[in-house]
Amino acid sequence: MSSTLTTQRTTEHSPAQATLTGTGRLLRTMIRRDRVRTTAWVVGLGLLGFYFAHAIQVIAEDTSELVSLTVMFADPVGRMMVGPGYGMDAPTHERFFAAGYVLFLYLLCALMSIFTVVRHTRADEQAGRSDLVRATVVGRHAPLTAALILTVLANLAVGVLVFGGAVSAGYAFTGSMLVAAGGVATGVFFGGLGAVTAQLASSSRSASGFAGAVLGLAYVVRMAGDMAAPGGSSLSWFSPLAWAQQTAPYVVDRAWPLLPLVGGGVLLAACGFVLSTRRDVGSGILPTRLGRSSAHSFLGTPWGMAYRTLRGGLRGWGIALVLTAAMYGSFTQTMVDAGDDLPAEFSQIFAGQDMIAGYVAYMSLFLAVFVAAAGVNAMGHLRGEELSGRAELGVSTSMGRGMWLVAHLCVIVAGVFSMLVMIGLVMAATAVATMATPVDGLFTDAMVASVHQFPAVLAVLGVVAAFFGWLPRFAMPIGWLLVGCAGALSAFGPLLELPDAVLSLNVFGHLAGFPVEDITGTPVVALTAVGTLGIVLGLAGWRQRDIHNV
Amino acid sequence: MMSGTTPVIFTHDLMKSFGRVQALDGLNFNVEAGEIHGFLGPNGAGKSTTIRILLGLLRSDGGTVKVCGQDPWRDAVSLHKRLAYVPGDVELWPNLTGGETIDMMLQLRGQYNQRRRDTLIERFDLDPRKKNRTYSKGNRQKVALVAALASHVDLLLLDEPTAGLDPLMEVVFQEVIREEQREGRSVLLSSHILAQVEALSDQISIIRHGKIVESGTLSDLRHMTRTTVVVETDHPADSLATLPGVHNLRVEVSKTTFDVDGDTVPHLMPKLTSLGVRSLVAHPPTLEQLLMRHYGTATDGITAAGAGTSPSGNAPEQRQDTP
Repeated sequence: MSSTLTTQRTTEHSPAQATLTGTGRLLRTMIRRDRVRTTAWVVGLGLLGFYFAHAIQVIAEDTSELVSLTVMFADPVGRMMVGPGYGMDAPTHERFFAAGYVLFLYLLCALMSIFTVVRHTRADEQAGRSDLVRATVVGRHAPLTAALILTVLANLAVGVLVFGGAVSAGYAFTGSMLVAAGGVATGVFFGGLGAVTAQLASSSRSASGFAGAVLGLAYVVRMAGDMAAPGGSSLSWFSPLAWAQQTAPYVVDRAWPLLPLVGGGVLLAACGFVLSTRRDVGSGILPTRLGRSSAHSFLGTPWGMAYRTLRGGLRGWGIALVLTAAMYGSFTQTMVDAGDDLPAEFSQIFAGQDMIAGYVAYMSLFLAVFVAAAGVNAMGHLRGEELSGRAELGVSTSMGRGMWLVAHLCVIVAGVFSMLVMIGLVMAATAVATMATPVDGLFTDAMVASVHQFPAVLAVLGVVAAFFGWLPRFAMPIGWLLVGCAGALSAFGPLLELPDAVLSLNVFGHLAGFPVEDITGTPVVALTAVGTLGIVLGLAGWRQRDIHNV
Repeated sequence: MMSGTTPVIFTHDLMKSFGRVQALDGLNFNVEAGEIHGFLGPNGAGKSTTIRILLGLLRSDGGTVKVCGQDPWRDAVSLHKRLAYVPGDVELWPNLTGGETIDMMLQLRGQYNQRRRDTLIERFDLDPRKKNRTYSKGNRQKVALVAALASHVDLLLLDEPTAGLDPLMEVVFQEVIREEQREGRSVLLSSHILAQVEALSDQISIIRHGKIVESGTLSDLRHMTRTTVVVETDHPADSLATLPGVHNLRVEVSKTTFDVDGDTVPHLMPKLTSLGVRSLVAHPPTLEQLLMRHYGTATDGITAAGAGTSPSGNAPEQRQDTP
């Protein structure tokens, strides 16, 4: 009896095939589920590649302009940010494209791959969807195989679009091929990494976080390696993120650095398959970490509760913005060096004769718009607390609904304020540290310029809070609209010569452009009043309306 | 049951609408101090809306509502020191552990008993060190239950509190609720499963389309309940059909199946004994059967077929006897 059963099985499927049964059908389902998300990633990356390839030709029309811009990528700080800087001694548009911009494409390819693999493996398992799938005629390795195929397909699509973008800009065939292939290979490598971390961690957050941490480490190692010498140093070779740019497109045009990327990706994916057989469905190889069994007494206060609820999001934004501030600050000397040769458009954006003051004013404004975005995002978290029913659970204690909102708003306001302070400090410190000759008052100016943006951020939060109290459905759209207007009008407003009515939609545009202009009291007072009034109104509305959980 | 003391929960002609949907349509019911009050109704009947008005999360459109003699909307803060709430579908803060969540809720509410917290965690077999995001629905329910039951409060508002619990944990839950009652606490226990409420409640109110349709002690409601009996007898049991209160009698060889009104069971027993009972199984009715029989439809949401699938672990076998 048992022997007939065995023969029957082997005639139907060999065991190796059986573990892959259903891969094709799963892949089709995944493509259908991802038809918006992955398409958006692919098209977005393709457009970005197209934009990078063509924008350089607009920014710098001839070689002399190009040479003046190469400082941004050729000196150590520039190499730290964008890559090894091949061919910057004799820059052309295509070399400038490959040296200055493609690293961002590669970073995004890596992220897309990690997210795609984890979303279709660990996230499905965590949500229990994979139990449903595995209960049907589907082999053990089918979901991971399908997820990896989808990831490779998405990366190939990005590669085709990027190649098309580069060739359409008139760049050399081989180099453009290498730029595109570098993205695909990087995507394959980090997709393989995602396949491993999805087996290790038991939550999709940890799986993505773990792979993201490796990506971050690779970026930092590459920073140090590429900074050390033009063309990168031996340290660069320890970072998979650096390998793709070592093909030196349009300069040396060598393909072999892509081999370790693809080989590494295949090896990692193989590890993922092996690890997946060593664990149960739904569990991870690494044990889940246990936390505290009882709470710190601070958590049992409205402030503690609000702090723990909002901490994660605010901290994430804060870290990203402080790192950006460090980057911008360390570029100050480079900007001064390039200042005299920069095209007119640049000096117009930086709004001043004094290059440093203009640069500091613009960067504080730009970062403060992102701080406002962090604040609006936190307000969205509040709305999420309401819709999920957690606000209801909190309000059912004796803290009261007014206290609930006051505590959460205080945490958000304190959060954005400390972000502005931290950004100011870090931007000031890095600017002062990298200046060749000390500049009087630079530290204080940079510090004050950042904190001076607080009334505008508060005003945005106030408007969102007012809507949260009275028309909660509109709170988030209005908030993002304000941030979007502020971002777009701050960046392009001065260039477009728009009417004042349109420009006044930019909350941040009302403040003086310190340190280019002197701080004026009226907008500071007015914006603070708008913010405070909005919060008071929002509280009044929240006190009188139903708390929804749908 | 009406004593001289004021009821813990008092509602009179309570109204609430969401847009065009009339969720509560003149709701009248009271919960006396120290009683466990079963609040029964099919999904969408207005149970959660009522509880959320009692908590001051929603404002009623009309009528009177008093909890512990206070207005739940105006006096929410002082009232919430005296009550604890367990929502039906518990969502918890994903980045906190179960233990942290329990302590946070207990401290935010006010006074609580640390020893009781620890023993409850043990009795409900909960690991408080795990992050909320890793808990199953049943474990999230346990977190919310411990956070409510370890507080020093006068009133417990429990909205379908055992929905995710396994049968063993439901037994623990029933023990704990009885202990709470001995401590003098009042409990409002909402559910859409009759068997769950029956085991604990002193009083039961049935809500349907935002109105209370029946209210009273379990024995008051006996006239509404109809037990399904399957009996094997030595002698043919056809004669039972002539007894008052017996319905839908069917005979298959030696096995006889029929329904009997709750209040006529005493008359039935001697007659059955004389037929020589070999085996006897009696199934209590489900809420859906009960509503079907008395109001024609169970609710807008539940069809007769849907009534057959009860999520309760110890739910009786279901039968359809729609004419």
